[in-house]
Amino acid sequence: MELVFDVGIFLLLILLGLFVGGWQERSHFASILRREQQMAETLVTQVKSFPSSMPGDAPPMLMVAEVVVATDYLKSFLAKLRNIFGGEVRSYQSLLERARREATLRILARARHQGYNAVCNMRYQTADVGGNSTMRSVAMVAILATGTAYHAAEPPT
Amino acid sequence: MIVVNTEDVAGYNIVEFKGIVQGNTVRAKHAGRDIMAGFKNLIGGELKGYTELLTESRRQAMERMLAQAEQLGANAVVNVRFTTSAVTAGAAELYAYGTAVVVEPA
Repeated sequence: MELVFDVGIFLLLILLGLFVGGWQERSHFASILRREQQMAETLVTQVKSFPSSMPGDAPPMLMVAEVVVATDYLKSFLAKLRNIFGGEVRSYQSLLERARREATLRILARARHQGYNAVCNMRYQTADVGGNSTMRSVAMVAILATGTAYHAAEPPT
Repeated sequence: MIVVNTEDVAGYNIVEFKGIVQGNTVRAKHAGRDIMAGFKNLIGGELKGYTELLTESRRQAMERMLAQAEQLGANAVVNVRFTTSAVTAGAAELYAYGTAVVVEPA
């Protein structure tokens, strides 16, 4: 009887991950894509040399954004299976991609909000948030992104 | 106070280097956020509680770094970097450091 209960819970979590988690991930990616298209005219680089810099009304300013994203139970389970055979863990790759793109978009949004139109010296860092032992079983990643916002000359049309 | 993560500031010249300035903060999570995060871990998505924790830490660490820079008489901090470390299972340290300088418009 215990076994049936355990298997039931496991299947429920897997289904929850498959449907709710999968839907949430897809809608997050759709939102990221939409916002990236809105930000398309912002010049984003990771060089230190302020490309196309133009004196503006405000000096360059540091922008920081952080995002903590968790993956769902199904993906964590699939990743654990991977541990047996080795190889690429695609479920975690999409997790990191989501977190990084979201952090970049937050930086761009803050920069635009303050009147800048370019960001240089983008740096990404994985921040270790830690967690208690029950949560170690599911993957969670914290991304800290920094960049310097400045005024750039508009490209000639 | 001008704060950038590049080594120089576009449109300004560095006239004096004051030295390294730093700020750090160690923050612990609280049980409520952990429980919510545990639930979110089943369906995935952003863990807003932890994001807020990280944001608060970052703000405090930067405030402390800028306070040090002001004390030194600088008007800008360049090449700002962040690093984090997990101190115990429930706490994380955020360390911000940069170089305090005096700049003037080019």
